[in-house]
Amino acid sequence: MNYGVRSMLLRTLAFAIVLEALLVPAVLFWPNFRDNIESLRGLMPFKAAREMLDQFGQAGAAGYVCGQQFFKACNTLGTAAAVLFAAGAVAGEAHRGTMELWLARPVSRKRLLLERWASGALCVVLPVFLTSATVPWLVTFVDEEIALKPMLLCAAHQSSLLLAFYSATFFFSTIGSNPLGIGFGMLMFTIFEFATYLIEKLTHLSIFRLADIPRFIAICTSERLDLAVVLPLLLVSVVFVGASLFAFERRVP
Amino acid sequence: MSQGVSNSAAGTIRVRDLSRRFGSTVALHPTSFEIGPGGVTALLGPNGSGKSTLMRSLVGLVRPDTGVATLDGVELIGDGTQVRKRCTFAPGELNLYKEMRGEEHLAWLLRGREPDSIARAVKMAQDMALPLRARVRAYSHGMKRQLLFCAAMAPRVPIRILDEPSEGLDPSKRGMILDLVERDAAQGSTILLSSHHLGEIDRCSSRMLFMHNGRLVKSEDSSSVRARAARILRLDFGSALGEPARAAAICAELLALGAKGAVVRGRRVVIELATDDPRPLLGAASACPRLPRPEGIEYGQLSLGELYRDVYGVEAV
Repeated sequence: MNYGVRSMLLRTLAFAIVLEALLVPAVLFWPNFRDNIESLRGLMPFKAAREMLDQFGQAGAAGYVCGQQFFKACNTLGTAAAVLFAAGAVAGEAHRGTMELWLARPVSRKRLLLERWASGALCVVLPVFLTSATVPWLVTFVDEEIALKPMLLCAAHQSSLLLAFYSATFFFSTIGSNPLGIGFGMLMFTIFEFATYLIEKLTHLSIFRLADIPRFIAICTSERLDLAVVLPLLLVSVVFVGASLFAFERRVP
Repeated sequence: MSQGVSNSAAGTIRVRDLSRRFGSTVALHPTSFEIGPGGVTALLGPNGSGKSTLMRSLVGLVRPDTGVATLDGVELIGDGTQVRKRCTFAPGELNLYKEMRGEEHLAWLLRGREPDSIARAVKMAQDMALPLRARVRAYSHGMKRQLLFCAAMAPRVPIRILDEPSEGLDPSKRGMILDLVERDAAQGSTILLSSHHLGEIDRCSSRMLFMHNGRLVKSEDSSSVRARAARILRLDFGSALGEPARAAAICAELLALGAKGAVVRGRRVVIELATDDPRPLLGAASACPRLPRPEGIEYGQLSLGELYRDVYGVEAV
């Protein structure tokens, strides 16, 4: 098997395993959670967390699973994976001195960069869809029922945010040569954004407002994508990919 | 955008006013030359003289600021993909993907080439006793160099650009690589190679381009080297040249006898003749009582080291 394909499959598998490993116990914990939601609410130290619990309670198993799979796992680990997969995409080649070899073959830079972007994007997005697709089956173990379609719509919504983070990091990787610095900087930025979400008076300023529990519950209820959010996020990705192509064409190895 | 290959341009490298600047540093002043079709052309110069920048510019890895480069009749445009389809490039930098196995790395390097080039590269690597099943991280410096060389020599392209292909190799492997380069050039390939090993350039190149501070300062082909050699006479005076005053007197005497130039190099006086016939000067010198009897006479030889010294004013290493 081709080295690039093997590397992509391994990363996809690793991220999918991590997401599924978080999802399975979370789903199995649902009956316990449902029965003790009031007690848990009393234990929550700040208002934002209490509101989250309320949202879980109101939306039932679907709201709880969305909170666990998307708001918790994908927004934290998914963002980290997006940043880590993108940080080394081009800067990693410069850092280890292999960029000249990478570019010296008779393959256009545009093609090389788009392939690199697409393989990393698949590593981020595929596990989100794959693990979300297991939800309808997993919830049968706790005597609940969730349809596949709303889960896939939520996965698409979540993926648009992860792709925006991925594409932004990818752009910095295209113009930089220090993957560690790029990854660290972007991780700090996403942690800051997540922390902002948890601050009552600043929460409306956080990017994670675009992928929080009420939004996923609305998607599950309406069974429609929130295009007012998804399209601008996809546009952000397109802009960053375009900027990456422009920068990469002129890059000196 | 690609262009058709005209017969007259097939296998040639044509460069006109190619230049490149990095910030305030001029890595390559406007440079023009034409080489090929066929034969080995050596690119010589001290470190930082612009050899690698020129080679990278030719294959589109570095975008030239000005000028035009045409390889095998195809003009370098954009990122140079069309040019790279007609040539191979072995970079001087030796950083490979250490996690790949040797065979896998060859296939990776040969992406975009004709499929049977991989089999040829594997065969070449096996002939060089490279452990293709081992991961590249286990390779020595020389093994990595050979792997790159095999990938550059395997595709069927009219032009090969090799940046220090024998650097870090032991003498036997270096000989093997030079044999392959010579054989490939004999079959019609145009090869541009850079090297610091003057001996190997002496052996395989038919033309030499000398670079210094980003400029092409001299171009010599084997006939011009022969013509220069025909005006070089060396007289070995042994210990008579040990004393500086005596050496200076001998040089002055030779100049008076008609030599165009005379310098002492160790035990020998290197004489530049006014014509390509050494007999008048040799006759006059043998009749001159103030000159000692030479212990040896050498005529018609010009080493690359001397050529290098001529161009750069320093001894070649």
